[in-house]
Amino acid sequence: MSGKEFFVRRYKELGWTCKEAEPKPSIRINTVNAKKADVVERLESLGIALEKIPFVEDGYWIGKSKFSVGATSEYLLGLYSIQEAAAQIPATLFTYLENKTVLDACAAPGGKTVQLAGLMKNTGVLIAFDVKRRRLTALSNQLERCRVKNTIVYQLDARESSWLNIKFDRILLDIPCSGNYVTDKDWFSRRTLKDVERNAELQRQILGKASKVIKANGEIVYATCSLEPEENELNIDWAIKTLNLEIEKINCHGEKALTNIFGRELESSIENCRRIWPGQTQGFFVCKLKRRAGA
Amino acid sequence: MKTIEDFVSQFEASLSLGENFIVEKQSRYFLINENLRRQIKKEFFYAGVYLGKVKEGIFFPSFILLAMIAEGKANKIMVDEKTAWLFICGRDIFKRGILNVTGSKRKGDYTLILNQHNECLGFGKILRNIDEAKGKNKVVVKNISDIGDFLRREK
Repeated sequence: MSGKEFFVRRYKELGWTCKEAEPKPSIRINTVNAKKADVVERLESLGIALEKIPFVEDGYWIGKSKFSVGATSEYLLGLYSIQEAAAQIPATLFTYLENKTVLDACAAPGGKTVQLAGLMKNTGVLIAFDVKRRRLTALSNQLERCRVKNTIVYQLDARESSWLNIKFDRILLDIPCSGNYVTDKDWFSRRTLKDVERNAELQRQILGKASKVIKANGEIVYATCSLEPEENELNIDWAIKTLNLEIEKINCHGEKALTNIFGRELESSIENCRRIWPGQTQGFFVCKLKRRAGA
Repeated sequence: MKTIEDFVSQFEASLSLGENFIVEKQSRYFLINENLRRQIKKEFFYAGVYLGKVKEGIFFPSFILLAMIAEGKANKIMVDEKTAWLFICGRDIFKRGILNVTGSKRKGDYTLILNQHNECLGFGKILRNIDEAKGKNKVVVKNISDIGDFLRREK
């Protein structure tokens, strides 16, 4: 159960016709470090054409550019980050981030960690984990470049969050996933349904641990860049049935998530999650969960 | 912490850390506030504001620390756009690229390098007395560290 034909047929059964997609590169302005208009003006004066991304507050697509956007002085000064458009969505779905205790459980390379710190205005405490040391170095470089001040980083597996003995107000699970064919040209030849199921199992373990360290009424944002329902709707269906979590309605870019997967009927509230099929952006899935009060 | 204070004083500057605390991890130094201090465990990898590291007895500042020093009174040289770009690429500074100097112009002193937006790009060592350097094509500041290092680290 692998190969392009197999997966494309699955997408068709889910109601989407697979097509080539090449999302434009994009940036997100770090508004804690600079005014948006100033950064736009400076980049345009360098000959970098910017187009506002309509569905994220601080995001711009890069059009024609004489320079690599990863090598300007504005980038090196932390005035913006290079971040795919759909990947800019999850951190913005939390309510009231300032002065909160927040966990970014799968943090490296740090694009969303920097975004969260910005949304927190460098207040409160942001704890960031990643399991691989090499990835932590990349994360640390991002934090230094973007002048983040409120973060503590640990080398930890996302399933070890209870070790800290902290209850969190907000948890971002930008969870390890199978990815999608837009960002990996060999995806169809490398991935099998078995990989997808293995990743889905790991994701359930991480979700389960996160549900233990979130405060009552706390918020978890779950995101993947996988198109596979096992890692998205089916995992969320499992989570709301077993982890005392409920889905919060979100208002963001994307289609309603699927509530019928290959003939299996899921909880109707799953339509409040968002599924983004590849096109202007890479493929993406995002969901906001809340721990039931008193649970 | 003396190593950091000594480093800062080389720019004829001082740094007030207020209510914050310095913590060390494997010769790397971090500035944390009370919120972080309450939550931090000794196993941390990175925390708060990274200040720099000591390697073989030499202090290597972070770019956040340099920016913090640049916010106050310190030796600073503002350079033009082209010079700023060359500096980020690791090059030294010619007299012709200097727009203005604050603080020391003396040979042997350390100075921060700022672009026209008043943003700190790194620091260098003054190679010859700036006022006395004859000719615009003389190198007057040797590049010690610049923000292009973020790119060089990735290689």
